[in-house]
Amino acid sequence: MELILIFAVIIVSAIACLMSKNRIVMEASSVIASLVAFFGSMVIAMKVATVGSYSQWSFFSVDALGAIIMMIVAFVGLAATIYSVRYLREETSKEIIGYKEVKQYFILLNLFLGAMFLASTSSSPIFTWIAIEATTLSTAFLISFYNKPTAMEAAWKYLIINSVGLLLAFFGTLLYFTSFQIGAEAVTWTTLLSNAVNLDPTIAKMAFVFVLVGYGTKVGLAPMHTWLPDAHSKAPVPISALLSGVLLNVAFIAVLRFKAVTDLAVGSEFSQKLLMAFGLLSVLIAVFIIFGQKNYKRLLAYSSIENMGIIALGFGFGGLGVFAAIFHLIYHSLIKSALFLSVGNIFLKYSSTKIINVRGVITALPVTGVLFLTGFFAITGTPPFGIFLTKIFIISAGIQAHPFLGVTTILLTAILFVGFFKHVVAMTFGAKPAEIKTGEISVWLILPPLVLLTVALTLSFYVPQFLLTLINTVVSQY
Amino acid sequence: MDLTLFQFILALFFLTVFFLHLVKKNSEATVLYGFQSLLVVILLFVFYLETNNIYSLFVVILMLLVKVILAPTFIFRLIKRDGLKFSASSFVSTPLALIIVTGLTILAHSSVFSSLGSIVPANQELLSLTLSALFVSLFLIVNRKGAISQIIGVLSLENSIVTFALFAGLEQSAGLQAGILFDIFIWIFIATIFISNIYKHFGTLDVTEMKNLKD
Repeated sequence: MELILIFAVIIVSAIACLMSKNRIVMEASSVIASLVAFFGSMVIAMKVATVGSYSQWSFFSVDALGAIIMMIVAFVGLAATIYSVRYLREETSKEIIGYKEVKQYFILLNLFLGAMFLASTSSSPIFTWIAIEATTLSTAFLISFYNKPTAMEAAWKYLIINSVGLLLAFFGTLLYFTSFQIGAEAVTWTTLLSNAVNLDPTIAKMAFVFVLVGYGTKVGLAPMHTWLPDAHSKAPVPISALLSGVLLNVAFIAVLRFKAVTDLAVGSEFSQKLLMAFGLLSVLIAVFIIFGQKNYKRLLAYSSIENMGIIALGFGFGGLGVFAAIFHLIYHSLIKSALFLSVGNIFLKYSSTKIINVRGVITALPVTGVLFLTGFFAITGTPPFGIFLTKIFIISAGIQAHPFLGVTTILLTAILFVGFFKHVVAMTFGAKPAEIKTGEISVWLILPPLVLLTVALTLSFYVPQFLLTLINTVVSQY
Repeated sequence: MDLTLFQFILALFFLTVFFLHLVKKNSEATVLYGFQSLLVVILLFVFYLETNNIYSLFVVILMLLVKVILAPTFIFRLIKRDGLKFSASSFVSTPLALIIVTGLTILAHSSVFSSLGSIVPANQELLSLTLSALFVSLFLIVNRKGAISQIIGVLSLENSIVTFALFAGLEQSAGLQAGILFDIFIWIFIATIFISNIYKHFGTLDVTEMKNLKD
């Protein structure tokens, strides 16, 4: 019932945005839909923690991993929607966008959230694929939202690279179906797992390569990451927050589900080696590009590539690494979304995304400055934030199993900290340009990132029992 | 199943992908894609005649509508409206492209991918040919600089996967296939809008001219 309610309110909200000529109706319907989706997701997650799974008809089935991702979609989605209301009003007042764009934005935002809910709750691998493809289609126009040549370029890259990636993932998905008799009934994630022993090992390996490259493109794993910094830097900030903080994880769960099937067919070593290779390459590329970065939104986008790499390494290392990777995924979603929303305030104040044009944020935007600085320390793994512990656990799992990889990861994350720190210090401190007035723009632009960071910090010290149950279940399955 | 008929249709299918590497005009590429899609529809129809499943007929009609009629119509309208007669060039020269196409075809037939061919041993040759078409379509996307050629490459890749699934006995239920076709339809619609916008902003469809975003 809860799941149907979530989809129903999102669809009704999208239709309301389409039909309405009143801005307030669009804003209110979107916020109410995200609020209902948030509470619905929490109820579903608690049910999954109690009884193990949640099913609705034969199309939807939420397991522990799906429940965690669903909560992330719902929570970050709610924060991004609330933030969008004020953010778009500011952009309208500056005549950056008009009424038509606002309408387009809220329709697509609802569809984007709906597609992510579908992808994380679908019981069928093909339905998951359709939903992830739908996320590409709903966000393409959000990336080209500002209708500038650079935005168009980013959106085209996004559309083509992701479409090719997803077609390869589709091919890989079909190869997994060879474990079934010809003409078998609709395949679900559960039946795919139970039939894994019937998979030809060579086909299972090929299928996983296609799936990893395909969905890995959407996750932003190097070397298929090239669309990500462009798309994340050109989209409106609430969308960048959702792309970086949520969408990458939605695609990652598809990889993880197929990993579980592959592991049953050929053992875990094959998928782990591939995840380690892609993970390390992602961290390596991100670290060196962050150093010379000139645009702060791209800086955050490369940080997402690095973090996806760390998560892939965690699953690749196995054992304690898997436990830490799940936590890392949750922390990254919350913190990266908060960071994107914070830089949205910086953009509104400075009207530039170039690092060189932004000085003295702490003076011009005192609260945002603190949020931005806190977010930086949190995302780079500084104590007391949870990412400090997850990185330590992932690296220690790596050092035990693969000492060279573990040590390399430590070095790379240390270099990344220095590179990131250099840019953040330059932006945060120093004298602000004289023409920039001091003062926050609105409390509604501060609350969403503040709440996201507060939850991330709270989860670093205290994890509710139901969430811990879900995480432990995921660890036992993957 | 009439193997000779399937071999003939698949040979034609592969030739459409091959010629997509050679044609210079966007309209020719669109006609080739339309013809390629028609071949897939014919294959699906033959499979329908064997199963007599009414839902399969629904998928055949839907595919005919989306891939053979609507997709080429959208692209033709775009070509006509914006005067996008010629496709931008490719990254590698035509002789080199043909050598790569040959190499990819050999690779698809090699022992590396023999396990994919043996999914249905009776269709081994057919599966290897569709795999060749898949690789060659992928190369088309990578090699072509023109935005229209790129979307035709993506659509050709999708056709190759559908054909592979058909001969490997991996086709999905009618409901899921309809869902996939709906996605493809929206994709085509969005891609053509983007092509039009790219032309407005850059005055060309050569994607190498889009170089404003640097690290």
